[in-house]
Amino acid sequence: MSDAETLAGQETVGRWLRAYDAQWNVKQTDGETRAKLEVLARFCAVCGKQPDELVTWLFRPTPEGPRIRLKRRREVMALIDGFETDNGGRAAGNTVRSFLIHNGVALSAPPLR
Amino acid sequence: MEFKKVIGLRRSIRFYQPYRPVERDKIQVLLEAARLSSRAVNADFVQAIVVNRDDLSAEDRESLKTPTTTAQLDLAPVWIFWLIDPTAPRIGQTSLKQLVDVGALTPSHGWSHAYVENVVWPQVLQPIMADAATAGLVAAVEAGLAINQALLAAVDLGLGTQLTALNAANAARILGIPEHLIPIWIQLVGYSAENNEAGGQRPRPNPFEAVYFEGRYGHPYERDEEVVKQLTEDGMIMPQAPYPWRKDELRALSRMFGLPE
Repeated sequence: MSDAETLAGQETVGRWLRAYDAQWNVKQTDGETRAKLEVLARFCAVCGKQPDELVTWLFRPTPEGPRIRLKRRREVMALIDGFETDNGGRAAGNTVRSFLIHNGVALSAPPLR
Repeated sequence: MEFKKVIGLRRSIRFYQPYRPVERDKIQVLLEAARLSSRAVNADFVQAIVVNRDDLSAEDRESLKTPTTTAQLDLAPVWIFWLIDPTAPRIGQTSLKQLVDVGALTPSHGWSHAYVENVVWPQVLQPIMADAATAGLVAAVEAGLAINQALLAAVDLGLGTQLTALNAANAARILGIPEHLIPIWIQLVGYSAENNEAGGQRPRPNPFEAVYFEGRYGHPYERDEEVVKQLTEDGMIMPQAPYPWRKDELRALSRMFGLPE
């Protein structure tokens, strides 16, 4: 089983793929999904965390519900910026950003001007 | 642009042409519109600082962002920082007398210099200013009136605009804002990169009759469908979001600017 196939079983990955399809009224092909998971797997190798672990690490449980850890969020944003430089450019970075966004981590990227 | 159409076309625009500057005279029109808004005590409850995005360092720009106000700040070329002044009624003792003198406040309605001096100033304005919560509430409403006129003026000029949250502490530090002023919103201004209808008028959470009453609370103000029809013809009431092509538009814009989906 490849790294990408392993990731498909993670709860946060399933949530991301379902939310993406619902948001954009699309049904991603197996090939599109596989390509995204391969990018995410590469990022996970860089950051040393599996997807579920990464999302959990970014939130702090509180009585009112999970709250984002802003310092860790900034760390991850910087990591993505570096990752996209070395791993296929903006599209790769945005794949990771999309994964995080659809798991409730609000972030964006510097627009291309 | 016709007034009703201006109201109908106002949207919070989140995609701007980042490379296209906004003419100085148009920014001045926005400020002039704000200055002429309705205002209690004829006081300046709101002040503004106009900042060109590219005059800020990258570090300062980043420090002003909140998690969901990121891309639009990078895209809009002009940022107007609106500042609330809860101490604005401090001029009331003189500004109200001036309104008496120019014929805005008249004896026919009970106004006089003596009333301002002996009643309004000590019994109304000073207590308001002494209570931070009340002063803030009054100032927020007054500021909102002015800011909304600036928003509508931008629409009238064919500009894209929106109010966006900011890191107020960093704004105060970077822009040298005095302590008694509260940075409340950034009004972004630029030429819209998205269609100016931005996918349609936003659906309101409650029907008209659920929030507007007649005679007493809870008794709906009956909505006349003929009026609705006329306002639709006039362009004030427009088709509701989402237009069928909206998600395609958003996806295309995201890809054009390299933003995540």
